[in-house]
Amino acid sequence: MNFCFTSIRNFSKLWKSHQYLGLGPGQSLAVFKDYCGLKNQKKWFSRKPGSPQNTKANNLLIAKAKYLRKGNVGSNKPEFSESPHYFAAGSAKKRSQNINPSKDRALPPVKCSLQIPTKPLTSEEWAKLQADFKGKANFENWMFSQMVRSHSSLDVAKSLLAWVAAKNSGIVGYDLLVKYLCLCVFHKQTSEVIDVYEIMKTRYKSLDSGANTLLIRGLILSDRWREALVLLENIKRVMVPSKTNYNDCIQGALLHQDANLAWNLYQELLDYKLIPVWETFKAFFDFGRGMKDDQYTKKLLDILLYLRNNRLYPEESFAHSIKNWFESVPGEQWQAQFTTVHKSGQCLGCGKTIESSQLSSEEYDYLKGKIMMDVIDGGDQYKKTTPQELQRFKNFVKTCPPFDIVIDGLNVAKMFPKTQESQSLLDVVSQLSEMNLRLLVLGRKHMLMPSSRWRKDTMKKVQKLASCFFADNISEDDPFLLYATLHSGNHCKFVTNDLMRDHKACLPDVKTQSLFFKWQQGHQLAIIKKLPGSKVVFQPILSYDTVVQTTGDSWHIPYDDDQVERYSFEVPTKWLCLHRKS
Amino acid sequence: MSVSFTFLSPFARCWAPFILHRKKKNLYSAVLQRYICSKTPSAPFPNKESTAPTEELELDKWKITMKSSMQDVSVVSGNEEDTLTATKELIEMWRLLGREVPENISEEELKTVMDCVSKSSKKKYLKYLYVKEKAKKAKQIKKEMKAETMEKARDDRLLETIKEDKQQNFLFLRLWDRNMNIAMGWKGVQAMKFGQPLVFDMAYDNYMKPKEMGYTISQLLESEGWNRRDIDPFHIHFCNLKMDGPYYTELVKRYGEKWDKLLLTTTEKSFVDLFPKDRIIYLTADSPNVMKSFRHDKIYIIGSLVDKNVHSGLSLAKAKRLNLATECLPLDKYLQWEMGTKNLTLDQMIRILLCLKNTGSWKEALKFVPQRKHTGYMDVSQQSQELLNRLKKLKTSNKFPKGSLKQHTEKNR
Repeated sequence: MNFCFTSIRNFSKLWKSHQYLGLGPGQSLAVFKDYCGLKNQKKWFSRKPGSPQNTKANNLLIAKAKYLRKGNVGSNKPEFSESPHYFAAGSAKKRSQNINPSKDRALPPVKCSLQIPTKPLTSEEWAKLQADFKGKANFENWMFSQMVRSHSSLDVAKSLLAWVAAKNSGIVGYDLLVKYLCLCVFHKQTSEVIDVYEIMKTRYKSLDSGANTLLIRGLILSDRWREALVLLENIKRVMVPSKTNYNDCIQGALLHQDANLAWNLYQELLDYKLIPVWETFKAFFDFGRGMKDDQYTKKLLDILLYLRNNRLYPEESFAHSIKNWFESVPGEQWQAQFTTVHKSGQCLGCGKTIESSQLSSEEYDYLKGKIMMDVIDGGDQYKKTTPQELQRFKNFVKTCPPFDIVIDGLNVAKMFPKTQESQSLLDVVSQLSEMNLRLLVLGRKHMLMPSSRWRKDTMKKVQKLASCFFADNISEDDPFLLYATLHSGNHCKFVTNDLMRDHKACLPDVKTQSLFFKWQQGHQLAIIKKLPGSKVVFQPILSYDTVVQTTGDSWHIPYDDDQVERYSFEVPTKWLCLHRKS
Repeated sequence: MSVSFTFLSPFARCWAPFILHRKKKNLYSAVLQRYICSKTPSAPFPNKESTAPTEELELDKWKITMKSSMQDVSVVSGNEEDTLTATKELIEMWRLLGREVPENISEEELKTVMDCVSKSSKKKYLKYLYVKEKAKKAKQIKKEMKAETMEKARDDRLLETIKEDKQQNFLFLRLWDRNMNIAMGWKGVQAMKFGQPLVFDMAYDNYMKPKEMGYTISQLLESEGWNRRDIDPFHIHFCNLKMDGPYYTELVKRYGEKWDKLLLTTTEKSFVDLFPKDRIIYLTADSPNVMKSFRHDKIYIIGSLVDKNVHSGLSLAKAKRLNLATECLPLDKYLQWEMGTKNLTLDQMIRILLCLKNTGSWKEALKFVPQRKHTGYMDVSQQSQELLNRLKKLKTSNKFPKGSLKQHTEKNR
């Protein structure tokens, strides 16, 4: 099933990185690895990316694979195949593929009408081509856009421009000029870029942001690279420059050995509250390779701390850059390896323990307050509950001793569509109560109304085994779940398969949200599957925190695998482990 | 900023002679090219230009003409710091690129553009201006064309009247519009006295941005219009209408001097103070209760709120706070819903309610729900069929995967 998707994704990545070839020295290696798809083939079945004719066969295979897997796992519907962690990178993708496997398999439709010429044409030939062209758009514009898209050679573009200029008494429109510039930048024809730059400068008072971006990208390779900074200033007069603008300028400064300027630009970028692109970080690390400069080293380590504070995870090529830099630091013998982390939180590379995901008591209190304020209350208590109910709940929680497990009754009950709701709730509750845990079941009042789905006797049994709180039918139960868990203390866990993204979104800022996520990772028990004997298997809780971290003489850096598509609420599983030889 | 400019000007001075003398320029570019080639050996594209210059096509001819028609070079140095002009120039350049920006922009609008926080909001606003400008132009053209045809028609008519100039007998003068208005006013007064109240709750001004407020007011105007034309109008109440609030100012602005002659009740009081609580029903799409039939003895309340960013449960929370009954339209029961939110616009709501009040037929009333949102009416037999299907699915789902699995494995062998 998977090989089909990976091949397509690589395809798009190929296009992206290809476009970017215009930039980084030393970047091409990584790109070509992607290009050939060498890595992913050993990972999945060794199948070539399917051609369009092949899709039918593929589909059949996929269907078969799906059925076979279904057979292996068992007859229960929520079949999450052998446990990647609930929050592990790529698992959401897998889950969604389990639910509707037919999605995003279609290849983009291939458009082709007029042939794009491959060599320069004379005026007559262009005129002829225009006569053949049938379309709404302006012929020159359309043709030039196609040429940009297919990266035609500059000579062809020039011949088109010459023809247009001849038609218009020597004048070429601004839009064509920009498109030509785009081609020049793509082919790295710096002299042409400078020519166009001169033309633009003389003909137009100011340029738009797109042209400025292209000029910056083109100029940084030449020795007039400082003029790129002027262009950057021009952009700044009207709007905030993009992070790629800054990236280009920083790359240019580093290319011409002006590290100070590069760091100043980097600081400016951060001051705008922009998050730099990976290439920027990578450029700094690549530049610093083999350098013995304490000042510079400190700044690089600051970058790593920046990643830590913002919970950013490097992409694979950047992880390689980090590794190479550490290994090249003269005098300090760093040893690096790519590894994973054991469930217990031990790095499989060096055996050190990764930071625990427990919150500090300050963080804990802060989070508790925020959940109460922003998720449950939210400025209007009537939105999610009522003040009376909130009071009732608060009193209820106060009178009870702290719980060990809080269960989202409705979520658990609906997990197994083939079992009766109240029965599946009872299964889970009784299984947990056997372990001598103090349980709290949260639900809604309608669960108490006897019906075919909610049997009275089973609910009675549930109430015997656990404390229960039933909210109004139109109230939300999740906020109560969060608060009850937080109120009971750090040891308390909660059972639900809800990812709680909507509640996370209620929190005011990114810092609090990441704090919430950290806590959630350490306290959420998700149900993976149900064994035949009504036994439920829970996702083991991650005891460690996935974040860039250091102990002074070691660094552990989680990074994104290029092959895995990670959703924003998931964390990477791969780590870069760095430690000093002793 | 000033720092960077200082090193521009020497550069500009240096390069200016190069531009003027083509020979030198070529020399320069040759040097530079060599430099570049040595610098970036991994360029993916073979450097065709330096290896095989195609002389007969004169590929660079256009550059000469482009450069020869040179402007005053002093303009380039960009000494005007004014962001206003810079923004104006940027918009002009975008227009040259065929982006969606307006051709003419006023100072005020330009300031709004500059106040936009992000690039995307700037683009959005500019697109809005562009569309507005385009619509205005199209309207202008249409108007001119209409005037032309009118002129022609009048000339024709003049000829006709000259031809057959004879007396005709009429029963009425042509005063239809005025008579209509008077009749509607009469009906409106009747409604003010004996009509069923319908309340628009105007307490949502804090939740809306100016744009959304504009939409709300437009919808209110339209609702009032539909109500006025109806055979048996509601007695409309605008409740919680603060006299200095945005609702009030906008309404007065739109209605002009007609505002004081409108046949509806406006009040700063809440509807709970005007009517007994047990007769009030708050209509909200979030309500768990479905409206079964239109009750002529109840007071229905519509929240006048357009929420582009989703404030879900806002009106439900309000009803909960005041402890009122809530209801929602039975859209799912009667329509096969396809897409879009179940929140309808205010004018759609009032038309549905008016229709219900007059006929009591849901099918008739729900034809005011936009057609794009549903695929058709649900018939009763279909509904029961669906229920049956669902039940069947529940029963067969145990067998189905296993059976098909067997088949597949057999085929494999």
